[in-house]
Amino acid sequence: MKNFTYVMPTSLEQVVELLPGPRDLKTRDRVKVLAGGQDLLGELKEHLVEPEQVVNLKGVPGLADLRPQASGWQIGALVTLAALEENTSLRASHTMIAEAAGSVGSTQIRNQGTVGGNLCQRPRCWYYRHEQAVCIKKGGAECFAYGGLNKYNAILGGGPSYIVHPSDLAPALVAAGATALIRGKKGERTVELERFFTLPSEGAVTRENVLAPDEVLVRVDVPAMAGWKSTYVKFRERSSYDFALAAVAAALKLDGGKVTEARLVLGGVAPVPWRCEKAEKALVGRKLDAETCRVVGELALEGAEPLAHNAYKLPLAKGLIAKALTKLASA
Amino acid sequence: MALEPLRTQDEKPPRPAAPGKKWIRVTKAVNGIDTEVWEEVSDDTGGPQWGPREQMRLVSRAVPRVDGPDKVTGRAMYSSDMRLPGMVFARVLRSRVPCGTVQLELEAAKAIPGVLAVIALNNGNVDWLGRPIAAVAATTPEIAEDGLRAIVAQYEEQPFAVTPEQAAAENAPKVGSRGNVRTLSKNTDSSEVDDALAKAAKRVQGTWKIPVQHHACLESHGVVVDYRGGDEATVYASTQGTFTIPGDAAGALGLKPNQVTAVVEHMGGGFGSKFQLGIEGDAACRLAKLLARPVHLMLDRATEFHAAGNRSGGEHTLEAGLDEKGQIVAIKGRVTRLGGVGQGSGHPIPYIYGRDAKVFVEDRCIHTHTDSSRAMRGPGHPQASFSMEGLMDECAYASGLDLLEIRRINLPDSRRELYMRQLERCAALIGWDKHAFKNAPDLSKSELKVGIGFAIARWGGGGNGQCKVEVRVAQDGSVEVLSGTQDLGTGTRTYCASIVAEELGLELNQVRPRIGRSTFGSANASGGSTTAPSLSPSVKHAAHNARLALFEKVAPLLGVKPDELEVGLGEIHVAAKPSQKVAWKDACATLGPAGLSAQGEWQAHLASSDVGGAQAAKVQVDTRTGEIKVLEMVAVQNCGLLLNRMSVKSQLQGGMVQALSYGLFEERVIDPDLGLFLNANFEDYKIAGVREIPRMTVEFEDDPRGVIGMAEAAVIPGHSAIANAIRNACGVRIFDMPLTADKVLVGLEALRKKG
Repeated sequence: MKNFTYVMPTSLEQVVELLPGPRDLKTRDRVKVLAGGQDLLGELKEHLVEPEQVVNLKGVPGLADLRPQASGWQIGALVTLAALEENTSLRASHTMIAEAAGSVGSTQIRNQGTVGGNLCQRPRCWYYRHEQAVCIKKGGAECFAYGGLNKYNAILGGGPSYIVHPSDLAPALVAAGATALIRGKKGERTVELERFFTLPSEGAVTRENVLAPDEVLVRVDVPAMAGWKSTYVKFRERSSYDFALAAVAAALKLDGGKVTEARLVLGGVAPVPWRCEKAEKALVGRKLDAETCRVVGELALEGAEPLAHNAYKLPLAKGLIAKALTKLASA
Repeated sequence: MALEPLRTQDEKPPRPAAPGKKWIRVTKAVNGIDTEVWEEVSDDTGGPQWGPREQMRLVSRAVPRVDGPDKVTGRAMYSSDMRLPGMVFARVLRSRVPCGTVQLELEAAKAIPGVLAVIALNNGNVDWLGRPIAAVAATTPEIAEDGLRAIVAQYEEQPFAVTPEQAAAENAPKVGSRGNVRTLSKNTDSSEVDDALAKAAKRVQGTWKIPVQHHACLESHGVVVDYRGGDEATVYASTQGTFTIPGDAAGALGLKPNQVTAVVEHMGGGFGSKFQLGIEGDAACRLAKLLARPVHLMLDRATEFHAAGNRSGGEHTLEAGLDEKGQIVAIKGRVTRLGGVGQGSGHPIPYIYGRDAKVFVEDRCIHTHTDSSRAMRGPGHPQASFSMEGLMDECAYASGLDLLEIRRINLPDSRRELYMRQLERCAALIGWDKHAFKNAPDLSKSELKVGIGFAIARWGGGGNGQCKVEVRVAQDGSVEVLSGTQDLGTGTRTYCASIVAEELGLELNQVRPRIGRSTFGSANASGGSTTAPSLSPSVKHAAHNARLALFEKVAPLLGVKPDELEVGLGEIHVAAKPSQKVAWKDACATLGPAGLSAQGEWQAHLASSDVGGAQAAKVQVDTRTGEIKVLEMVAVQNCGLLLNRMSVKSQLQGGMVQALSYGLFEERVIDPDLGLFLNANFEDYKIAGVREIPRMTVEFEDDPRGVIGMAEAAVIPGHSAIANAIRNACGVRIFDMPLTADKVLVGLEALRKKG
């Protein structure tokens, strides 16, 4: 990796002061913030970013706090995935979040990796990760995956880039209706997590979220989910450690076997966590039987446009939806 | 010794053995490719004997490896762990393009503080992707890395062919000068087989595709060269052949081979990819010569993937003709080896099967602008096994026959008893009798389905006479066994000590094995599972000679003749009267200060060759997600005298794990348009992890023969059994590895459409 200076500020004021200005879009990567480092170190070693300065967030007090509130949970950006995975009351109230955290990488990665880092991590697409492939994500002209080896790429929401968002936590947190607390030079702002992530056709194609160059993700607030049951079902090619080929975060409120409220968000199939609102609506009032699974699966994948090598993600995602719903029906 | 290359179908030696000689099947590296050959060796059965196995204390027992504690605590020094005074770190730059020319400007790199030397590694012609083109030595690895990036490489890129389709296309860019598509088999007349196929009651066919696998050694390729000027050098090499190093290194260092010592204390995996000094080792020697300082050069992981060899891929189009009873009467095949710029190992189709069948196989290779394949554990056999075992199961299903019955019918007479015994034992271990789908796959609509698959393996595993071993007994009673051989993690050190300890009546920890140094007695390179059958008889011989020499010294003390003595535990006594004895220490005290040194050479009668094994896999397929879960694997293997039951078991389990990983995950991925290696890392080049490993049961057959190498047999059948189990579980035949969920889902969809 290229040499850089390293600083460890002790307050958020100092952190944002070190970051570029809100409009410094072209030079934003001159400064990178470091949390668990599980993604950033790879990017540095592969020369995908060559910052002049790395700002470690670990000196800022309070960022690793995981606080239960009457209104839900406050999850600091530096809370580790292991802490989420192991919190038994979170697992009871927001099962899908704990399950999603527990499905990330390996034990070592979860001990080190953080919530903020997991949500802000860059794509795993092998073209993006290859230094020589100057793809559209890196300021180039085309998405090599589109006409290339795209087994692991998007079937929904793609274009002009076809990455899939690699986060496991994101679908679960979006399904939980979480909001992101963001700190910038001008102060704080709050964004629904669902709006935090941007499609390549909407936002800057070289980014995956709304963070401006002067901003840092500080906390995620998750509303209480009394009466909900939820689960995160992830399919990995290699179960020892792997990113999702497809994943489902599903949350339901049930009354007498019938669904009264539903959230369904897919991971691993689109450049953002993919909210399936039509499918959610269709679930309401239905029993969780095979026919419901079929209908919901069809609606959830509506509009999917598989590339040459990833049509399998359609039956896979539908199969995972059926598994998740069946699991919740018997939970 | 006469050497005859073994052709695919050579079941028998080329001619009868001369008086006092016998033929054995051994594997040797011929032009860097493991090749099976018939070797004529002495049939003399005098001299040392292994003796009755039930009386053995150490050999043929389960003994924890002597270097285990060193390895798990990190005390063991691997080549890459070497640190020397004044040592510098080197890195190599690889070509970004598969084909073209490159001009290098090295000045900017040389100007970086801490960069000590920058050299070009070839003449500027690049003919495969990732070929090393320059090397940098610097005071730290990081600065060396910076140096690489500062080299200005100007490429003139030429059209390339990185896939077989590109290479075989009309007007394809040329790979080398021999032609992109080369037919290697001589026979072009398939008329006899065509006739037999035409008359067959049933015909079964398929095209199997086999990806390129990587050795993925945890310790990458490389060396630490200790040269500080003068006329001597030591090369710490991560190699499978201690004695392949000095000659190669001497050339690069401008020294004579006997001025270079190779040291291989511990090495972190080779699997067939580490036989010579290599481009990287050569670069390290050149830098050391230039700087007169020790140089540490180990490849980084990406370069390891690009430029350190691989298992050749392949494409096998096979057709079998069957009679009404399910006997294969004809096999016609086209075997394409994909070895990059290399030829690739032969894929011996029809693997073991095809009793009495007419066989025609067109054997060819297609060259691409990618790194040459190298030998890899069981070269060619896992590839051949994949398609042939698949074909066997398809023949069974086409004929409505039990998966074991089709094998019984089509195994050659000479091997039927062995393999059917092993297959039936595997079947019993894995619960075949309770399995409902013996002669047809499970096509029911259930979500979770379980299937079973079988496969078999054969390997030569004979020894050869390249090992010279010394056993030293000192006046204080301490014992050393010395051989230049290398331990690839197979347990060589342990059996060197245990054989000597057994022979001299000592405990294992009383014998110190010293290996991995070219100043010790010569030894063969570890290829073709030949190390144990070559080395262990030589160790036994040396220990035997040491015992006889000691008896000569001790006999007068006890007033008997040497041949009246025998060893007991920690003593030497009169065979007829064990109470008349000398303790080991007292016996050794009779030796002068120089102690005793005994030499050993290979004893053909203590080794044997030709191993066979069968494996079975039980697999669960989730038809909703395509998930493949291997629930269980079993193996039954013969392999002569087991030098150490614990390490042989590990070898077999390791082979099963490696085959499972090959089957389920491993595949080199190169973008055909960009010419970029997309998964040259341990994230995207997937290898099985701990959660993928099923319950594994390993059994050995009681085998009265001498020592035989079996490491390669272990890796041959596993992936084939898994592929067959998937087909048995859900009806989907996956013709191309890796065997992944997406292919199951696509296959299930196709089955549904077919109704």
